[in-house]
Amino acid sequence: MRRRLIALTALALLAAACTAGGGSSEPVQTVDTSANHAPLTLTVWSDFSAREFKVTTDALNQITKKYPWLKIKHVGSKDDTAIERAMSGGNPPDVAISFTPDNAAKYCQTGAWQDLNPYLQADKVDKNAVWPAGVFSYTSFENKQCALPMLTDAFGLYYNVDLFKKHGITAPPKTVSELADMAKKLTEYNPDGSIKVAGFVPLFGFYGSTTPNTLGHAFNAKWYDESLKPTLASDPNWAKMLQWQKALVNAIGYGKLQRFAASIGGANSEFSPQNGFETGKIAMMLDGEWRNAFIEGDKSTVNYATAPFPVDDAQADLYGAQQVGGTIAGIPKGVKHAAESWLLLRFMTTDSNYLTTLAHGLKNVPSTFEALKDPALQNDPHFKTFMDIFQNPKSTFKPITPIGIADVDMFLTFATKWQAGKVGDLNAGLKGLDSQISKQQTLG
Amino acid sequence: MATVAERPAAPPDQDRAAARRRRRRAAWRRQRVALLFMSPWIIGFSAFYVYPMASSLYFSFTKYDILSQPRWAGLSNYRFMFTSDPQFWVSLKNTLWIIVFLVPLQVIFAIAAATALTKVRHGLSLYRTIFFLPSMVPLVAATLGFLYLLNPAGPINRLLHLLHLPEPLWFVDPRYTKPGLTLIGLWGIGQIMIIFLAALLDVPKQLYEAAEIEGAGPWQQFRHVTLPMISPVIFFSLIIGMIQGFQYFTQAYVVSKAGERTNPIGYPQDSLLFYLSHLYQQGFERFHMGYAAALSWVMFIVTMSCTIALIRSSRRWVHYQGGFR
Amino acid sequence: MTAVPRAGAAAAVSRRPVSFAIRRHRILMSVANHSVAIALSLAFLLPFVFIMATALMTNQQVLSPNIWPHPFVWSNFKTVFQSFPFLRYTLNTVTYAGLATVGVLLSCTPVAYALSRLRWRGRQVAFMLVLSTLMLPPQVTIVPLYVIFVRLHWIGSLKPLIVPLFFGDAFTIFLLRQFFMTIPEELSDAARVDGANELQILTRVIVPLAKPALAAVALFQFLYSWNDFFNPLLYAGSNPNSWTLAVALQQFTNLSRGVLWNLQMAASLLFMLPVIVIFFFAQKVFVEGITLTGVKG
Repeated sequence: MRRRLIALTALALLAAACTAGGGSSEPVQTVDTSANHAPLTLTVWSDFSAREFKVTTDALNQITKKYPWLKIKHVGSKDDTAIERAMSGGNPPDVAISFTPDNAAKYCQTGAWQDLNPYLQADKVDKNAVWPAGVFSYTSFENKQCALPMLTDAFGLYYNVDLFKKHGITAPPKTVSELADMAKKLTEYNPDGSIKVAGFVPLFGFYGSTTPNTLGHAFNAKWYDESLKPTLASDPNWAKMLQWQKALVNAIGYGKLQRFAASIGGANSEFSPQNGFETGKIAMMLDGEWRNAFIEGDKSTVNYATAPFPVDDAQADLYGAQQVGGTIAGIPKGVKHAAESWLLLRFMTTDSNYLTTLAHGLKNVPSTFEALKDPALQNDPHFKTFMDIFQNPKSTFKPITPIGIADVDMFLTFATKWQAGKVGDLNAGLKGLDSQISKQQTLG
Repeated sequence: MATVAERPAAPPDQDRAAARRRRRRAAWRRQRVALLFMSPWIIGFSAFYVYPMASSLYFSFTKYDILSQPRWAGLSNYRFMFTSDPQFWVSLKNTLWIIVFLVPLQVIFAIAAATALTKVRHGLSLYRTIFFLPSMVPLVAATLGFLYLLNPAGPINRLLHLLHLPEPLWFVDPRYTKPGLTLIGLWGIGQIMIIFLAALLDVPKQLYEAAEIEGAGPWQQFRHVTLPMISPVIFFSLIIGMIQGFQYFTQAYVVSKAGERTNPIGYPQDSLLFYLSHLYQQGFERFHMGYAAALSWVMFIVTMSCTIALIRSSRRWVHYQGGFR
Repeated sequence: MTAVPRAGAAAAVSRRPVSFAIRRHRILMSVANHSVAIALSLAFLLPFVFIMATALMTNQQVLSPNIWPHPFVWSNFKTVFQSFPFLRYTLNTVTYAGLATVGVLLSCTPVAYALSRLRWRGRQVAFMLVLSTLMLPPQVTIVPLYVIFVRLHWIGSLKPLIVPLFFGDAFTIFLLRQFFMTIPEELSDAARVDGANELQILTRVIVPLAKPALAAVALFQFLYSWNDFFNPLLYAGSNPNSWTLAVALQQFTNLSRGVLWNLQMAASLLFMLPVIVIFFFAQKVFVEGITLTGVKG
């Protein structure tokens, strides 16, 4: 009797140990593509909408040509919160696409998105041969690869060639001082003093590409040290960037800038045909490479060119680098057909045909070595700027941590206070921000 | 006058016992029927109040993100709340702003509007309809409407421009977001106003006449006749307003999320971060369910304390017609 | 005029010279009072006017210096139906509000009856408990309720919104109880003498008499559910097929496409419309219902 009990206990402990071990020790199933399959429809969720949604849906349907038994249902306008709620609600999509790589660390750590290393190993995919090293910084955390890039983004400067000519500017700015000077020069006013055309809108919280992240990158400002301790106060480049930004805001006028922003439709005009740059109301804009596709899609007549974004005067060797990193995709925990989900995900992240079609349609930067070679994109002068920025070794994404976008949110709240003149002591403010982020890390 | 001999004879013991048993059975039957009638509420109360409250208390001592099992965390959620979460204090302050400022302002405005209507002779029901209608409008629609009206380039600012008045940035400027919410709040006082109107019309005219004879002017009449007579309604409005104020969410959420999509709830600068907004963000956007449960219990204690305080204070200033309740 | 005038004559004499001044005073006061009322009315109506005007503009006109639409784009309302699955959201909202109302009426009537017209042990305690849930902030229960509904796989549907209302609602119970208490006991007693059981008394005596209160309660619940935002956002927000109009309207401010104010205002008006229509037809019920809660509360 006692022996049986011991045996049972041992078995139970063994079972517990196995299930508690986590995904990486378990064998994963992959799909035998040559065998017959019952028809299956997999759902893919993304935050795409309108034109981008259609482009992505068409590209995704390419997989049905390859595997006729596999159909894709693509649902758009699903941001990370929606996907997380679906996961917590117990019915996640089969593959999830996210625009917020900041959350990848959280997904990796909690297992919300499955570790893909076993799948990659089972299919004998050599990660480093397929993807440039940079992408792993925003798709993996602590040795778990819970996401893969589906195309990527790079940020740069868009400028209105006609307005440049009008004000006698011959070349785009290379340093932030030049940017500030040109911004002031290019700003045109209405008779009542309000802004008619803005040279550059340095406001945080207006368009989504002007963030402490992207501006901070131009100054080589670092979020965290190796132990993931926040360095917003200890890295002097943050203060430098914030001082530069505020000086420019004050020079043009905070109230005037806000009113101008509201008059062209506010933050919501960013992805509409009323976008300030596309309608010629903003002369220079920091934006991602997707803007090329929007300009074309919205049939904007703006005569524009692209260039790397200006950098800190004292760190001129940074020129040509900016924030990179973008759309990621993964397999949520609890999907019903993990093997098929992996088949789809692998297609979405490695198939060159799919990636180049998508890159052409979305004008996003290709994420695999193969797709980067595409001649059509290489020969597009507007677009090539961003491909080069992506391949610049100094271009990075912000370090990702398990607190997801909480740090970005906190910095944004601080930055909007700062630009409105509500922060008296910048250093103390940054120290407070560091402390707030550290404490948030303890919440877990 | 019955004599001892004429009093009816006492029923024999058996009959008394039988009567007692019959009464007990009847009482038990009544109890059963009552419980049957109460059963929907009993089930609902246990399943949707008692159990969740106990469960929520448990969760408040854990770290829980739904995807995995809850992990015991002791008091760490509470410690984080009081020592490491500046947004907790901000949200508390913002919510107290509603309780201490917005709700009383709404009550005052409702009384003022109702008073204006009591003096009107013709078209009372038309005015009443107009004043009441905005309070029927769904909050989302009302907030969107005001987001447009108070857009920095919108109609109200253009009106102010014509009048050469300063044009605030309203919902973009953290100093003006709460005034913007105040406007929405005042626009929707119709329901309370109707109650005040009924109460004001209910005040017996003799009291006013008596006061006038004693030489009281209109303001004194208001202070010494009207206010005490409508004080139960004031109390009622304050309690309801306070309970709803602690749950203020929709307007703030709609305004915050109407800007840049990636803006956090409470944008700009946490000026719109109310307690429930903070709880919602922590629990249902960041999935810190244990922390959200802890936040909810603190709110429970605060709400109960404030409600009890208000009820206690009411004994001193609320005047009920015809004695105690 | 005699030295001791009769009351009437004296009154007649004193009325004439004074009445002009008094009348002028009264007219001025009336104008003043009406001005205040008119001013307030304009303030309350102005937002409606602007919302309506914007709903009829083209998108270029929306934040431009023109305050008045020119031309009137009535087709905006049709565009709303074409751009979003407006019909589905309306259906969801009607389902939620309708079933909620039914549930509340079915479950709260017997409970209110038991609390007001039956004598039983624990009645006071039960009533206190009902009142206490009125003052309970719902925050305390939403986290575990959400978890329960996750386990039941009800998240993303309207079930978490509707089902609990078939098990009582404190506000409705309170209102109905107050009303039931005003119905004379003799009517119940007479029915009991006739041999009716409690259920028959409830359905044949009380309910017919309580129609105004039941109508008011039904109206309140319907409108509360129609306007509800937080609960549909929380429980059904993750599934656009289950969105109610309130949630859908808010979510569309975030379309990457950029907000179109004219369509937003048009959609808001369509959302408000049923409420306003119901209000106009049921005004009396409304006002009586509200005074029922407030004054007698």
